[in-house]
Amino acid sequence: MMSIKAFGIVSSPDNSVHVEGLQDYRPIGAFSFLGRFRVIDFPISNMSNSDINRIQVYVQSRPRSIAEHVGSGRHYNINSKRGKIQLLFSENSSSRSIYNNDISAYLENIDIIQRMHQEYVIIAPSYMVYKQDYRQLLETHVASGADITLLYHKVDNAREYFKNCHTLSLNRQKGVQSIGKNMGTAKDKNIFMETYCMKRDTFVQLVKAASWESSIYTLSDIVNIKCKDLDVRGYQHRGYFATLTSLNDYFNASLELLNYDIASDLFRAEWPIYTRTTDSCPTEYFESSKVTNSFVSNGCLIEGTVENSIIGRGVVIKKGAVIRNSIVLAYATVEEDIRIENAILDKWAHIIHAKEIIGEPDAPQYIKRQDTL
Amino acid sequence: MAQNEMLAMILAGGRGSRLKDLTTKVAKPAVFYGGKYRIIDFPLSNCANSGIDIVGVLTQYESVLLNSYVAQDGRWGLDSKDSGVYVLTPREKADEGLDVYRGTADAISQNIDFIDTYDPEYLLILSGDHIYKMNYAKMLEYHKAMNADATIAVRGVPMKEASRFGIMNTDGKGRIVEFEEKPAKPKSNLASMGIYIFTWKPLRKMLVEDMKNPNSNHDFGKDIIPKMLNDKKGLFAYEFKGYWKDVGTIDSLWEANMDLLDPKNPLSLNDSSWLIYTEDVSTLPQYIGNDAKIKCAYITQGVRVEGSVTNSVLFTGAVVEKGAKVIDSVLMPGVVVEEGATVTRALVAENVRIGAKARIGSKNSENIELVAKNVKGGTK
Repeated sequence: MMSIKAFGIVSSPDNSVHVEGLQDYRPIGAFSFLGRFRVIDFPISNMSNSDINRIQVYVQSRPRSIAEHVGSGRHYNINSKRGKIQLLFSENSSSRSIYNNDISAYLENIDIIQRMHQEYVIIAPSYMVYKQDYRQLLETHVASGADITLLYHKVDNAREYFKNCHTLSLNRQKGVQSIGKNMGTAKDKNIFMETYCMKRDTFVQLVKAASWESSIYTLSDIVNIKCKDLDVRGYQHRGYFATLTSLNDYFNASLELLNYDIASDLFRAEWPIYTRTTDSCPTEYFESSKVTNSFVSNGCLIEGTVENSIIGRGVVIKKGAVIRNSIVLAYATVEEDIRIENAILDKWAHIIHAKEIIGEPDAPQYIKRQDTL
Repeated sequence: MAQNEMLAMILAGGRGSRLKDLTTKVAKPAVFYGGKYRIIDFPLSNCANSGIDIVGVLTQYESVLLNSYVAQDGRWGLDSKDSGVYVLTPREKADEGLDVYRGTADAISQNIDFIDTYDPEYLLILSGDHIYKMNYAKMLEYHKAMNADATIAVRGVPMKEASRFGIMNTDGKGRIVEFEEKPAKPKSNLASMGIYIFTWKPLRKMLVEDMKNPNSNHDFGKDIIPKMLNDKKGLFAYEFKGYWKDVGTIDSLWEANMDLLDPKNPLSLNDSSWLIYTEDVSTLPQYIGNDAKIKCAYITQGVRVEGSVTNSVLFTGAVVEKGAKVIDSVLMPGVVVEEGATVTRALVAENVRIGAKARIGSKNSENIELVAKNVKGGTK
């Protein structure tokens, strides 16, 4: 693999983001996605496929699942000598504190950032799902002579979706005039994908400037302020894009991929999404199984009915059980004749006594990890 | 297990010619099995799970794919500091010139230098083309407890079939008193599984002598074991009771795949304490479409089913399009069954395309149909 002139940073969300239920157990990057992936597989695979072989992953709290999943990084196809995936923790103990933001994490590790050999940095979030060749982003950035290039996605449903996401105001030349928040006031918006391309030195200066001005400034805050002085430009992303900053977003983004055309656009043979194997065997479908329009992972035993759902690894669905429009995470068990609709079952949940678990399409019912119902 | 107490050597040079077109370009141990595995994943995973660190794989016939496959030892976790999987093909030697492996024992003899670098106490010899789960550490315990020179794993076969196997006759306490290859009138039903543990030093001595013997076939079954019995060495039978298959033919390979559809299947690949490891793939999970109908199937990641699948095993990346029917069949990786085609009692080889509306196989066929080439679409 050739390597490019940029290193990668996979960033953590700031503390305004909290996904009900799921995030109590792991950071968003470690959320299961489409059964066999975790969200963080997407930014890391994008970087690996873009020939970026030095990657820093920032972890704020509950690092176990991310540390276990990323491991040595070998499964992300990164050369184990030339390349490296580093997990960087912010030591700030109060993880929910307003001070514990991305800038404070970068500042704590600024010496490591400054020592990187690469001239450029690509920063991508661990809480969004999309496919992007960063070589193209970097090429455009360098050719334009801009100081900072930001990745954005044009949407026409910003009234209902992408609430609280950052937005970009662009001029005709794709110059970024400011970064704002989506308050759901208009349908057409340029959603900022929290993805940055700039020189490493520019990045270091921004981090220092942010902390100098205010200890609660985030990277997007300081870039917004610097829009006046620096040449900040937008780069439009096309294709599937999802933000996973609320339980509803997670639910909708997952089920949207049940449209196989959308899913096969995100997963292309020439752009593999790597993940850590768990060595589970194939899934067994029994005589009484009825499965339609669903993604099913390996290691499951299916006797019941599954419709429009995403089934994680090693899930057991007994006879007569019916799962509709739901996400069932790994190793959950649904006993006989139980009906589940519009729900998210977390890992190791065991549904025995509850006859029905019914949520609404716009308000999925969440069942806790290892809960027995 | 103490470091390098026991080294494993896997004999993986066989062609398996009765598997016909499946083995024209790959050796039998590399043949696919069970939705996501290759047969050699079984002995390799067994080694890893039994705590064996060093595994030599002896390849010969059409070994390009097999060599590169097993060299990625991280797949089986055999990539820690002191472990590894080493491919050992026949090589040119200073004093003898280039030579092929003349027999199972010769394959080991020609690699005595490799084994010597690890200086093991015991040598485990395995076959690369058997499907089973076995803890070799337990077999070694037995070998030590019996103070044996050699321990041979055996399994009970139906008495009426015993004349098809190499049969071990014991003294009732596990000591082997006689070995008969395919006896017309078998005296016991304990068949050799081709799995041996030898105490290395005495075996080494025998192998060196055997290499020089012009009348030897250089084979464990034909030469080494009979000679050891003749010399009154301590040979013991270790009885194995689990699932074991040597898939020699298309029918038996198909049958072994079908065994996985039985919920009580004794191979139990779901057992997290003894996983079988294999190549990792980057694909979507399996996608089951809107009109799909699946009854009794064993399906792995990357498969897409839009049609109907009954009583079948589908490997990575196989596709069953709308209106297509797959019944009592095995679809190997990358097989595409196009719209409206029907596949019955067939084993479809890797990356084969079955054209729209084509009809393959039949419900009452005597043998399983092997489809190794693309099939053009049908008209009906």
